[in-house]
Parts: sequence; C-alpha cells; structure tokens
Amino acid sequence: MIPLENFLLLSAALFAIGFYGVLARRSAILILMSVELMLAAVSINLVAFAAYLDADGLTGMIFAIFVITVAAAEVGLALGIVLRLYRERRTANVDAADELKW
Amino acid sequence: MRRLPLPSQFDRIIITGGVVAGLALAPLLLVLLVLLAVDEITAPEFIFWLVAAVVVGGALGTVLLPNIVYAALSLVATLLGVAGVYLLLGSEFLALAQVLIYGGGVVILLLFGLMLTNATDDPVVSDGSQKPFAAMVGLLLAGVIVAAAYDATWGVNEVAASSLRAFGEQLFGDYMVPFIIIAVLLDIALTGAYVNARRERATAGDEETSP
Repeated sequence: MIPLENFLLLSAALFAIGFYGVLARRSAILILMSVELMLAAVSINLVAFAAYLDADGLTGMIFAIFVITVAAAEVGLALGIVLRLYRERRTANVDAADELKW
Repeated sequence: MRRLPLPSQFDRIIITGGVVAGLALAPLLLVLLVLLAVDEITAPEFIFWLVAAVVVGGALGTVLLPNIVYAALSLVATLLGVAGVYLLLGSEFLALAQVLIYGGGVVILLLFGLMLTNATDDPVVSDGSQKPFAAMVGLLLAGVIVAAAYDATWGVNEVAASSLRAFGEQLFGDYMVPFIIIAVLLDIALTGAYVNARRERATAGDEETSP
C-alpha cells in the first residue's frame, strides 16, 4: 500500500509549481494554466484524504467533482475576459492591464 | 518573428516531446525496476512514482517552457497523470471525468485562447522579473506544506473500495443542493463568458467599434 504521505508530497510539489507559475508568468493564459495545476493539487489532496481517512471514501470525491466543475466554469469565464483584454490592448500580457495599480 | 506551430505540425511536436519525456523517464524507470526487483518498493508504489514523475515533469514544463504551445501540451501530460493518481486512489469515475473535462474540454479551450490571442505574435513569451522571488516563495511554500504533512499523525484506515453506485447515491442524495447550485453557477459562467467575449455592435453615439 502506498503511504498517504506520498500523495501529500506530490500534491505539495504540484501546488508549489503552480504557485511559481502564477507569480512568474506574464501571459494571462499561462497564469490560468498554472491555476489549473494548483486546483489539481488540491483535488489530489481531497481524494487522498477521502480514500485513506474517510470511512466510505466518497465525500472527498464529491468535493473533487465540484472542484473540477468550478475550474471548468472559471476557465471559460476567464478566457472571455482575456479575449476582451486582447481586443482592447492587442496583448494578453497582464502587465498591460495595470490601471488599478497605484 | 516565429509563428505559432500549425496544427499539422503538432504530430512532430508531440513525437519530439514523447521522445524527450521517454529519455528523461528511462533512468527513473531503471532505478525503480531495480528497487522493485530487490523488493524495496511494492508494485503500487512503483506505478505511483512513475505517475508522479509524469505529473511533476509536466507541471515543470508548463511553468518553465518559453514556448506557450509546448507549455499547453505539457499541461495535458500533467492532467492525464493526475487522472492516473485518481485511479491509484481507487476513484475510477473521477479519473474518467478528469480525462473528459480537462483533457478534452479545458485544454482545448486554453489552446483556443492561445491561438486567438497570440496568433500573430511571437509564441515565445518572456516571464516577468519576479522569477527568483517567485521560485523562493514557491520553495518555501512547498517546504511548509511537506513539513506539516510529515509532522501530523494521520489515523489511516484501510483504503475503502468506493463503488460508483454509492457515489451516485451520495451525489444526488446528500449533495443534491450543492449539485443544483453548481449547475446554476455553470449556467451563469457560460452566459458571462459569452457576454464578455462577444464583439459589441455599433450603436448610435459610439464613435468607434472595436476593430
């Protein structure tokens, strides 16, 4: 049997890599991809805890399904916003949209 | 100026990527096979480490590769690897959903986004100046999470084999209300995406429409 810590280790690595991507990347779509990595890491954690710690092992799976659904909705909405930004500024670089930055 | 690769060139990219990934995985496979042969690790652990290598390698490719199309394709590898992790954890339905929704839907959507926003630009993007800082924070975060995970004592049960029937009964029984809310959320998100992304018609009073 695989120790639970292995899954937690994998999920931590995935989350940190996604976090690095969000901070370091400047293209809006690449930032979205990094957010997907972080969401996948969270889902792995939920399913691992459900499989190892929960009696019926279902609650975490259902939470993971909700995470996947919300992530799909988020990607669709965010791409709409990115396309809008691209049409206004001719670039998908997030540094081009800094009006709110003081 | 380099253009984005054409879809007809994707074959070549995928084959090249596969060869590179295979070459990178070969030493790991060798080490794992030796460990398996001397009974240092069990067969599930063997598969776990292979899948984990695919997941982490793909994730690193996603955040490090300068070419956005390569980054998107290594994201596919990561997400399929995550589906493998779900299989190892005994939730086949989640693995299937992962392949269908992420491999089929989200990645295609992201590729569309790339094509629509960078089609005439250089596909090679430069990252910001915050790279060293971002790497530092990421490593710190990973260290804290790993330390916390190994520090805690988990009262581990045996892995319960969860049936698909029980899963469906839970989802449409106890979790009916969240399920409906999620459905409404999806509806709103799709409408919002459409409203955001469509081109606005010229109306009286507008001096110019978007190009």
